[in-house]
Amino acid sequence: MRLNLVLELLDVPGQLLDVLKPMGRLGANIVAVIHQRDVKTEEGKVPVQITIEGDEETLNRVITDLEDNEIPVMEVDGVLRREKITTILVGNIVDRDLKDTVSLLNMLPGVRVADLDLKMSASPEKSASKIVMEAQEGIKQEVLFKIKEIGELKGLLVINEI
Amino acid sequence: MKIVILGFGAVGRGVARVISLKKEYLQEKYGLQLDIVAAADRSGGAIFAEGLNPELLLKTKEETGKLSEYPDYGTKGISGVEILQKVEYDCLVEVTPTDIEDAEPALSHMMQALEDQKDVVTSNKGPLALSFSVLDDTARKNGVQFKYEASVGGAMPIINLAHDTLAGSNIESVYGILNGTTNYILSRMAKEGSSYEQTLNEAQELGIAETNPTQDVDGWDAACKIVILANSILNLKATLKDVKVEGISNITPESIALAKKEGYLIKLISEASPESLEVSPRLVKEGSPFSVEGTLNVATLKTDLAEDVTVVGKGAGSIETASAILSDLVNIWKASK
Repeated sequence: MRLNLVLELLDVPGQLLDVLKPMGRLGANIVAVIHQRDVKTEEGKVPVQITIEGDEETLNRVITDLEDNEIPVMEVDGVLRREKITTILVGNIVDRDLKDTVSLLNMLPGVRVADLDLKMSASPEKSASKIVMEAQEGIKQEVLFKIKEIGELKGLLVINEI
Repeated sequence: MKIVILGFGAVGRGVARVISLKKEYLQEKYGLQLDIVAAADRSGGAIFAEGLNPELLLKTKEETGKLSEYPDYGTKGISGVEILQKVEYDCLVEVTPTDIEDAEPALSHMMQALEDQKDVVTSNKGPLALSFSVLDDTARKNGVQFKYEASVGGAMPIINLAHDTLAGSNIESVYGILNGTTNYILSRMAKEGSSYEQTLNEAQELGIAETNPTQDVDGWDAACKIVILANSILNLKATLKDVKVEGISNITPESIALAKKEGYLIKLISEASPESLEVSPRLVKEGSPFSVEGTLNVATLKTDLAEDVTVVGKGAGSIETASAILSDLVNIWKASK
């Protein structure tokens, strides 16, 4: 059987090879690689489409191996594996321990903070931060709800996606 | 069809104007003749069984500020309820100023009419947001029509769209931008990078925001509307106190700039589903149907069969809101035949 994967890789030399080599070693046949360096994600990563062939067991091993090595598998056969969740917090963010906010988010099962942006205002209580998270498919609503809870706990205004 | 108009502010005047404008159209297209047998404002009212002249009502209001000054048929100090008890009519058009604390005097007007087995059309959010079930039950019990398309989103069709056009589809949730003033402020902040206070001032100077803007900017106007949609479309027995409300006064230019960097806009979104009833600033994708600018309203119905259905329209304005009232009147007329 065949499997189409979409991965997100850092745009540095050797990355693609590091991903492809273990696939061959595990016994999967690489059918196609589409690598467009001019399309980049917000974090500067390059989405790479890889089609591999093999028996089910082998293909599953490849996916597990990728995930074990913390290579983000965004899509498998057109189905999203991970989705992005963006949220904005307004308030005295630094004072309310930004590091702790990020750890609280990282502690949510299946969630990883992927990007953080901070914009300070002349009055600290009006500072804003943008947090982009990657989450397992299907838990978005739950994560949004948790973010609200964290915001309430820290007295921050939470602006979630619809 | 004989109608009584209670309230002669922007919406009431709009109703008189569209009745005058569309007189021949309504006659030709539907065989409908709308006679205003009474109209009232704070000063009192005017009553004439054969029908008041809408143009003369508008002129009287404009020149004297008081409908009680209407030539020959004006009465000083007569109350809305008194008029309803006194006059022979088919349908009440309730458009008095909205009150979200006790819903009066509109609630008494509507209850009086419904119990007298008269149809009611309204744009008045207060009574619907506070006492939806009572009004709806009273209308059912008395076998009369109770319509309020104009109460949510002005000219934007949403309630009748859900009830009639999408009949057969189960509607799972509703969300939308239901307040034009806040949408104007947030759109301007996104475009100009200006502060909230500055932009609110500008909106007030342009007459888009009221001198006391609390109901709009703190989200209460939007909250009233989402309660109406929750009751009417989702059959949730909710009132205003069940809504989690967060306004836009804490939105900063910094937060808007960060959102923009990620391809988002910040909008004041009202949402109703069996799980949540809330008004809060949210992120919407730039270029999505929710990225509307200015005072426009937009709403999406999530349905089981038709998936997402989204409508956009003018959320306020005298004639625009009156258009929704007129459509309710026409529908009542069609149903009565």
